[in-house]
Amino acid sequence: MPYVMKKYLLYIALFAVSCSKKLDDAYLNPNAPTVVPIETLLPGIIGSMVGASSTTGVSGGVAGDALVIGRYIQYWGDYNGQSNASYIYDEMGGPAFTSATLATIWNGFYFGQGQNLNQVINWGSQQQKWDYVGVALAIRAWGWLELANEYADGIIVREAFNTNLQQFDYDPQSLAYDTCRDVCFQALAYLSRTDGNVSATNLAIGDAFMNGGDVNKWKKFVYGILARSYAYLANKAVYASGDYADSVIKYCGLAQQTNDDNTTAKFSGNVNVSGNNSYYGPTRGNVGGLRQAAYIVGMMTGQNPTFAGVFDPRAFYMLRMNLGGTFQGITPWLGNGPGGGFTTASGDPNFPPNFWGNTAAPQSASAPSGATTGTLDSGRYLFRNNAEFPLMTASEMQFLLAEAEYRKGNKSAALTAYTNGISLNFDMLTQKYALNVPSDQAITPTSEATYLAAVTPAPEDLTLSQIMLQKYIALYGWGVQETWVDMRRFHYNGNLDPVAGTPVYAGFTPPQGQYLYINNGDSLVYRCKPQNVEYTYDIPSLTKIGAMNLNYHTYEPWFNQN
Amino acid sequence: MLLFMLTLAVSWPSMGQQRTVKGTVLDSKDNTPLAGATVQNRRTHQQVQTDEKGAYAIAAQPGDLLVITHIGHKSLHLTVGNAEMYTTQLDIAEGQLSDVVVTAMDIKRNPRELGFSTQTLSGKTIQETQRENFVNGLQGRVAGLSITPTSGQAGASSTITLRGFNTSGVNQPLFIIDGIIVDNSTFDENSNSGTTLGLASDRPNRTSDYTNRIADINPDDIESITVLKGPEAAILYGSKASSGAIVITTKKPALASKLRLSYDDAFRMQWINRFPKIITDFGPGTNGTPSTTSFTDFGPSLPASAQTFDNVHHFFRTGFAQTHNLEGSFGTKASAFRASGSYFDEDGAVPNNNFQRFTFRLTNNTKIGKWVDLTPSATYINEVNTVPTRGSGGYYQDLLVWPATNDIRHYQDASGNRTYALPAADPSVEVDNPLYNTHTNFNKANTYRGIFTLGADVHALSWLTLSGRFGYDTYMTDEFDIYGPQSSQLVSIAGTLTGAYNLKGALENSWMKYHDYNHTIYATAKKKFGDWTVSLVGGTTYEDAEHGTFSVIGTQLISPTRHDSSNTNPATRQRLLQNYFGKYNVSIARNLAYFGQVNIGYKDVAYLSYSQRLEETSIVPKANREYNYPGGSASVILSDIFPAMKRGDWVNFWKVRGALANSARLPDPYLNQSVFGNNYASATGLAYSYGFVNNNPNLQPERQRTYEIGTELTLLKNTLALDVTYYNTYCYNQIAQNARESYATGFVLNTLNASSLRNQGLEITLDINPVRTNDWNWDIQFNFNHAWSKVLTLPAAIGPLNDYYNSDDFVTNGARGGFVRGHSTSTLTGWNYNRNNAGQILINATTGLPEVNQTFLPIGDRNPAFTLGTLNSIKYKHWSLSFLWDLKVGGDIYDGTDMILTEYGRSPRTADRMTPRVVKGVLDDGLQNTANPTKNTIVVNPYLNSTNYYGETTGMPDEEFVQHNVNWLRLRDVTLSYGMPQQLLHKLRVVKSLNVFCTANDLVLFTNYWGPDPAVSGSTAATRGVGGFGYDYFNLPTPMQLNFGLRASF
Repeated sequence: MPYVMKKYLLYIALFAVSCSKKLDDAYLNPNAPTVVPIETLLPGIIGSMVGASSTTGVSGGVAGDALVIGRYIQYWGDYNGQSNASYIYDEMGGPAFTSATLATIWNGFYFGQGQNLNQVINWGSQQQKWDYVGVALAIRAWGWLELANEYADGIIVREAFNTNLQQFDYDPQSLAYDTCRDVCFQALAYLSRTDGNVSATNLAIGDAFMNGGDVNKWKKFVYGILARSYAYLANKAVYASGDYADSVIKYCGLAQQTNDDNTTAKFSGNVNVSGNNSYYGPTRGNVGGLRQAAYIVGMMTGQNPTFAGVFDPRAFYMLRMNLGGTFQGITPWLGNGPGGGFTTASGDPNFPPNFWGNTAAPQSASAPSGATTGTLDSGRYLFRNNAEFPLMTASEMQFLLAEAEYRKGNKSAALTAYTNGISLNFDMLTQKYALNVPSDQAITPTSEATYLAAVTPAPEDLTLSQIMLQKYIALYGWGVQETWVDMRRFHYNGNLDPVAGTPVYAGFTPPQGQYLYINNGDSLVYRCKPQNVEYTYDIPSLTKIGAMNLNYHTYEPWFNQN
Repeated sequence: MLLFMLTLAVSWPSMGQQRTVKGTVLDSKDNTPLAGATVQNRRTHQQVQTDEKGAYAIAAQPGDLLVITHIGHKSLHLTVGNAEMYTTQLDIAEGQLSDVVVTAMDIKRNPRELGFSTQTLSGKTIQETQRENFVNGLQGRVAGLSITPTSGQAGASSTITLRGFNTSGVNQPLFIIDGIIVDNSTFDENSNSGTTLGLASDRPNRTSDYTNRIADINPDDIESITVLKGPEAAILYGSKASSGAIVITTKKPALASKLRLSYDDAFRMQWINRFPKIITDFGPGTNGTPSTTSFTDFGPSLPASAQTFDNVHHFFRTGFAQTHNLEGSFGTKASAFRASGSYFDEDGAVPNNNFQRFTFRLTNNTKIGKWVDLTPSATYINEVNTVPTRGSGGYYQDLLVWPATNDIRHYQDASGNRTYALPAADPSVEVDNPLYNTHTNFNKANTYRGIFTLGADVHALSWLTLSGRFGYDTYMTDEFDIYGPQSSQLVSIAGTLTGAYNLKGALENSWMKYHDYNHTIYATAKKKFGDWTVSLVGGTTYEDAEHGTFSVIGTQLISPTRHDSSNTNPATRQRLLQNYFGKYNVSIARNLAYFGQVNIGYKDVAYLSYSQRLEETSIVPKANREYNYPGGSASVILSDIFPAMKRGDWVNFWKVRGALANSARLPDPYLNQSVFGNNYASATGLAYSYGFVNNNPNLQPERQRTYEIGTELTLLKNTLALDVTYYNTYCYNQIAQNARESYATGFVLNTLNASSLRNQGLEITLDINPVRTNDWNWDIQFNFNHAWSKVLTLPAAIGPLNDYYNSDDFVTNGARGGFVRGHSTSTLTGWNYNRNNAGQILINATTGLPEVNQTFLPIGDRNPAFTLGTLNSIKYKHWSLSFLWDLKVGGDIYDGTDMILTEYGRSPRTADRMTPRVVKGVLDDGLQNTANPTKNTIVVNPYLNSTNYYGETTGMPDEEFVQHNVNWLRLRDVTLSYGMPQQLLHKLRVVKSLNVFCTANDLVLFTNYWGPDPAVSGSTAATRGVGGFGYDYFNLPTPMQLNFGLRASF
């Protein structure tokens, strides 16, 4: 028996050893990858720049917030005026602390891109794919600036992406600007490398829907970010003295020059997968309730004093004509309600249809029946499922240049940039956004020239107002965050044009009286509160920066200050 | 048998010559012979076992004390007199009075020496309740055990909790059958964006239900159930038993027994007899304005002439169920067999709800030579469960909001199309007709299961036994979930809800597979040294459990009645991550452990036990993989140390005991590896991005420190037995899984060891035997439980007033189960009234309506003040009557049903809507926190402002729908049975015993609850943490049931 027992004990011991090994075998997750090729990470990161779909990415990107900020800057408003649950944004209000509104930049930056982008940098460096590392850093730099511009001092810079922390401290907006530029220079360094496993063909796998693997375009994008980062500090004393303006001029010269250089997100437009489609398209259905605002319509139809009497042929590309055959826009906080200037609550032929052109029922938030996909997609301009969504254009760079030269007193250079900016925008529309434009209203060289002539003054007569308003038009719909920066820099209609003596944003009327949101206390909106989740988990930090105050959204950001 | 072998090995030689005493042991309930009972002569320590006729023969002399024990029965002491034949009846043990307890590792121990509390129930008792899910029969019978059935539907899952909630992970106990780990999971529908097990549709556990898998077990195969509530379970079974263990011993055939057959059946009728109060006095509309496009009843009163229908009663049917059990056994001297088959078929009270179970089990008991005992068994189970969609948007909600002016019975037109209640016939406006819903939207699961066990005992030396328990548990479930192409039911696809009509119908097909191999190999040594008895147990256990799921959801049904996965448009199909590659998503957990235990007894009056377990798991990273924990217990029989106290028969027995243990608890596999999921951005090929959750590579197992102290007292000639236990469990280093945090982590959710809580309780069991005569016997057992708990720490990100919650428990917008520091684990958090510093409700100064605060603050605690189960068992000759009263006092319930019915204008609280009123509170006018706040005097008329007045966010937050201190007293089970006297049976010759019985379930319910039945749950048993108990959201009430049947043996 003792012998038998020894044998049994030996068996047991052997068994135990084999069991222990089996534990190791079962440790790794067999269901989902813990490591993936960085080529498969970049599409999602790019997707999170504009408007990721749910599941992974939680609606990150500029487009979601643009729908709201577009109301602040009167690109558009909701057709329903005061009856619409979101009218507080038409009134320049800020969201409730628990509301997830105005959080898509936050979501896209921290989560949609967040650790995915970190892994592209991390694994890309290990694999010596320096081009991927450069692209990732370029997107991170862009993100820092977008984040800082929208949330001002309610941002997490130093402690970002630390999974060991449970609460986070906020950093000043200026730190994000510095970080942005620092990352820009890193990005440029990597994008310039040709050693290791750098390959345009391989970059094109991940970059198929942005720059198609062209590192030079990415570099131009990075220079453009640098240009923006200096341009937005025009209120700082050091800008006028030369430093910042010169930087703007320098980087605009290195950034996008032609429409081919434009940084635009593309969409494959597979109707079954919402993330394959533009956030503004009928499949994703996000902009159905929006209507063009009176301010942009006035500017393009000759009613704005700056371009009085000049009809802008771009209107047929960007805006929608009503059943009555005219261009009309809504006052965002009134919509089709009382005082809105439209005769009845529904069916008014003057009421603008939505951006998908639903004329059958102007007061509708849907696309025309059946007109949602493929060749039936009824949207025009950005409002199509597969329309390219610009994030930065050559035209925009010309306007940054125009403003910088103008502020330096180089009016002739400013005028050149100004007209370049306009004609680049015309070209972009005719090249990329001609679909669903009535054929008899297509822009022709003649109509473009006529318009250009009408809005081009003599160099000495050029005004800041003209530059900013043409930029306002050229960025319509997509450059919402950039335009908001501009309008805040000029305090909306608060800063006067030194030449014209009228507000730089001529004809702009912010909501006032009962239509200015009650918590604003007579101030206009200047920043977004941090994302709603912060209001549950980062309350000490919120309190420190005043973000628990109901009028927090009216605090002017650092870039506005002298 | 095992017991016999084990104890034989340690019995001492008899001393001297005696005569042989013969006897028969019968079950007092029905006079059936009890095979396998142990008869021990206390003087000689010799023991024998009864044969299949219950007969035994043992050497004894007059004056000797024979102790007769049988698992599941109370032991009996018999003093040998001059007679040679003794007939003994053993009563079924309801509690701890049984003299043999199967403890951890299938080790049978004398309860005298146990330092912890256990309760044992006989299989017969459980079977007698006629619950198809036998765990439902445990409620009220064990102090500290609570059962929450998900709903009153046939095949519903049930959640089992022992001694409260110790974790936000899995709180359910481990199930052990004959020493083998057996699965009791309920299918979890969450798949974390397809990265884990679960459904492709990835949804919370609230609409479909799947049986909890231990309900597969045929109650008729159960010999006894021992509930290990405290530290002991964890000490030897390890982390899986950190919420206790339920140890099931199955019926075994006896060696050398004749062929024996038995048959029993039961026929059951079932009624839903409790309904929520709804009003049907008003027509459709809002704010007092009639509307033909509105499904809310806030229009003008219905004219007296309006025809209304009693739709609620037209909906339910009389449920019917039948059970048949057939069992046969025989044995030779070396080998015995038992075979049992059962068939159960139930049509529930809800149309299209059916539950079928077929089981077959074969057990063998073989003795090889002198030393080896083998007990193999094989069980096959097939279960089919059809369940209409429940909960939010399910048939019950549809039924309660359906317009009274529309007859639900006309739910289809001649061509089979759905009919509508409103003229617009718009599926986006109205809900489904409830009958249409049950026939169109349902889930059907078909499970095949095999459980194979092998017990081997080698009695190597007189003092040493080597034992092995080997088990293999495997099942497959083939399941579908269909939503009709015309239905308004919301379908979850990747977390987004869309109306089925929009999707042109949806069908999800899923296949789940499970297999678990586990074994325990150990040696037991026992020796006596003078006054000291020492036993040592040492061994190893290994478990390899693998779950897998394959799930496909598609939309645009080709045919509304086909249920195969090709019935959807291929372009719409979504799967779990690995399913795209034709593979199952799997979850593998392997554990290896070594354990040892030393038990020392002194003169049979004092016992000390020390245990140690070293465990290793595949679930956590290698660095944290091994964990090691000790436990100990002690018990002292005071009444034997000081025998003087037994004088006068006041005190017969008094024991004090205590036990403590430190143990661990494991998270789900893979929580330490962040994974990528599919990203749907435009891409040339696959695109990935991280999921919401940061899985933490530094994760460690949760830890738990627990102790209990207790005493057992038997008084007044053994007519009164009292067992009191206090326990205290401190759970720390707990894993906050999916804890919300700032997105600055780069994720939405984080996983970290950060929480702690403490659980305490008092459990009292009192057995009284007030009447004991030859003809009469009356036993009463009280099971009392009072428990309380406190959340101590949570992740720092969660503010002092904020809650940590499980998304499954987030049943409605504004109420959920949440952990809040300093509050009970069963706290309900939800939207509440804004109040001033004095606690007065703030009223909007312009509207006159209360201001709603949409942050989650504690609004209730579901934990009852105490529960008391009272079990009566009365016997008169051949009649026996038993009934169980289940009393619950205190505990809050969130009535989400009423919240929705209020918004629909169907709740009785809206009946007085036409009475203008002033809402009590103070105006939010800047003076609210001064000494003189402005009292609200604004008159509001709910009838004209129904949307705001009754709105969850505008006038009546969820706080309003919490009912505090809900009590219930229910008659759970009552059974009357009659056993044919032996004299009569003798004439029938072949029939050895015959019993007829009638059992009623849930016959009587007294409650102060507003709704129909306070036994509610907002989610299924798959939900982790505290789960959905006390959360009423269109919960089908428990039906009343009546069973009739007979039991016969041949």
